[in-house]
Amino acid sequence: MSISGGSGGAGGGSVGRGMSWCSTTSVSSSGKRIQKEMSEFGAYPPEDCSAGPKGDNLYQWIAAIIGPSGSPYEGAIFFLDITFPTDYPFKPPKVMFKTRIYHCNVDLDGNISLDILKDSWRPTLTISKVLVAIKSMFTEPDPYNPAVPNVAYLYLEDRAKHDKIASEWTMRFAT
Amino acid sequence: MLILNSHDLLWGSSLIVMFKSNNIVSRIFERQIYTPAPSTSVNCVRQFYENLVPNCTIYNVDCPDHSFRKFTDDGRYLISFSKNYQDLIVYRPMWLSFSCNQEDCDSHDLPSKAKRFDHFFTQLYCMPLASNNEFICKDFFLYMESNQFGIFASQTAQVYDAPATGGAVLGVPSIEKITFHLVRLSDGVVLDEKVYCNDFVNLAHSMGVFLYDDLLAIMSLRYQTIHVLQIRESGYLVDVRAIGPYCREDDELFFYSHAQHMVMQGKSKQVEFPLDQGGTGLQRNQSQETSFLSGMKQRLLSFIFRGLWNEERNRTLRVQCLKKKFHFHFQDYVDLIMWKVQFLDRYHLLIKFGSVDGGVSRNTDQQSAFLAVYNIEATEVIAFYQNSAEEIFQLFEQFCDHFHANSRNLSYMNFITSHSNNIHALEQLKSAQSKASSFSQFVKKTMAALPFCCQSRSPSPYFDQSLFRFDEKLISATDGHRQCTEHPIKFISRRHPNILKFKIKPGLEVGGADVQTKKISTFLFHPFLPLALSIQHTLLQPPVINIHFRR
Repeated sequence: MSISGGSGGAGGGSVGRGMSWCSTTSVSSSGKRIQKEMSEFGAYPPEDCSAGPKGDNLYQWIAAIIGPSGSPYEGAIFFLDITFPTDYPFKPPKVMFKTRIYHCNVDLDGNISLDILKDSWRPTLTISKVLVAIKSMFTEPDPYNPAVPNVAYLYLEDRAKHDKIASEWTMRFAT
Repeated sequence: MLILNSHDLLWGSSLIVMFKSNNIVSRIFERQIYTPAPSTSVNCVRQFYENLVPNCTIYNVDCPDHSFRKFTDDGRYLISFSKNYQDLIVYRPMWLSFSCNQEDCDSHDLPSKAKRFDHFFTQLYCMPLASNNEFICKDFFLYMESNQFGIFASQTAQVYDAPATGGAVLGVPSIEKITFHLVRLSDGVVLDEKVYCNDFVNLAHSMGVFLYDDLLAIMSLRYQTIHVLQIRESGYLVDVRAIGPYCREDDELFFYSHAQHMVMQGKSKQVEFPLDQGGTGLQRNQSQETSFLSGMKQRLLSFIFRGLWNEERNRTLRVQCLKKKFHFHFQDYVDLIMWKVQFLDRYHLLIKFGSVDGGVSRNTDQQSAFLAVYNIEATEVIAFYQNSAEEIFQLFEQFCDHFHANSRNLSYMNFITSHSNNIHALEQLKSAQSKASSFSQFVKKTMAALPFCCQSRSPSPYFDQSLFRFDEKLISATDGHRQCTEHPIKFISRRHPNILKFKIKPGLEVGGADVQTKKISTFLFHPFLPLALSIQHTLLQPPVINIHFRR
């Protein structure tokens, strides 16, 4: 099995988490692609975002996003788990919140309902773009594509109350 | 002619002038005519202890077969447990009294009637504390001096291969039932109890519990929760905080009330509110298998993240630095568990984090660990150090007494020797440092003492290193067992290095022939009287208890 990159080897070896094995070539090419994204991310990081592999595993990343000012999430730090599938970039990465958040597009388990992480995923997208999309989700939630309908409803009906609850969640669980 | 050393100069020269003589009568006279330097009067008075020493020993005293724990810090009580660890027996220390109707009393030996335990200690009561399959933890006792309350613990046997259910940490043993008893020591009435089930609190040397004023912090290793309780004057134990999964007192309530509202109508998922409203201390979240970070970890990780983020202004360099120092180690930080906790003041906790296997084992000297300072009110981590960091060592070296959060009601508690208040102790630390092969290993070893065990040091003036010099390997102010030699332990005057002030000899007066047998001693010193108990344990033999006092 030929694997490119220093840390790609460990990554390819411990991919799993219920995902089916693909051909070695695809593991290697996904590794190459993730390596490339990592160096691009390092060179041109999106504002208020940070990301990188967790330990030696290239396929398991941790991202951190600072809550944008002007939003009820201001000043908080949200940690996200990113898992790359072995057939990345043909399948989207799996992104989950590790920090509790009150948001109509994030369910109680931390799963995100974002179209680019599901049906609208394209191999041309990068983790950098995904993080930018999640960051803009903080300022502009999408109540028409909700993970938690009750929160989306409150967002549309009583924005002030929604923001008050969201900032209290932020203060309690994300600082 | 008196020779001044640097330490004496430190206390001000007038003090030296004050006690030119070692004769107690002339010292009392000198005390009348000299005024000590400002704010040194207590130091001055303490020098009288050089004249009042426990120089007389009653060997192998005939005494009840109990396990003696300690004198309370105010000297009012001597705490002991029955040998089956079911009963609490409390004594009042008394002063030996007997009359002598002959001339020149001092030269006579003590009458045999006076050489008894009950001449020194009067039993106040014997109270059953543990029942059935529970046993009193012999190493655990905390004393709340302001109310004369004692805190005791009893527990059932330990299960080592306990399954990690309901959010418990895997690899931490479990105890079916741990009970904390709040006892009014004046009459032995149990005022309140707190029970933790299927949990693990490290009770050896009171490690897992810390008392500060009326606040009690209990470190649940298994559920990674610091329970902060308040001891009310009325004798109740009241839950104040449970820090770990959540930080604020109502975080859990807040979360579940919102979570319930969020899934209503959706009906996709049931959110069960796990709080046991009974308040028996058994609240356990059975559905805690979430991937979310606990409240404490979120605060810790965001503190580390912020620190690194603010360190570097350049965006590209910052991301590179975070990648190496934060993201790469993220899982290691997540896997850390809280080992030990102490109060620094009413609002700040010093928490030690480490790996799961280090939390339970005894020898943690060389393990990697981290120390965090956490503000309970602001629910914020305000400092975080690795245990090999030079910065925390320097703080420890210079401000050691700030880490010892003692009861401030008793003035003599402020005179317990530490390397921050005593030049001789500092010299010892420096000499150990110079002997160490590597500085970071030395720092780790020294930092193993933090967080301090609560009430683990005796305030007895005989351990004051500005008054006496002794071999700390054989005896020290810190609680615990010591290796025992056949020779008596010498206490030498600090100011006159040639004068032996008194000796403490544990064990029989004439040493046994079996030099080979390993002997262990424990010393219980009264906080201010020249009175001490030494207990020598030899394998398979009854302990030998000696009373050391001033005749």
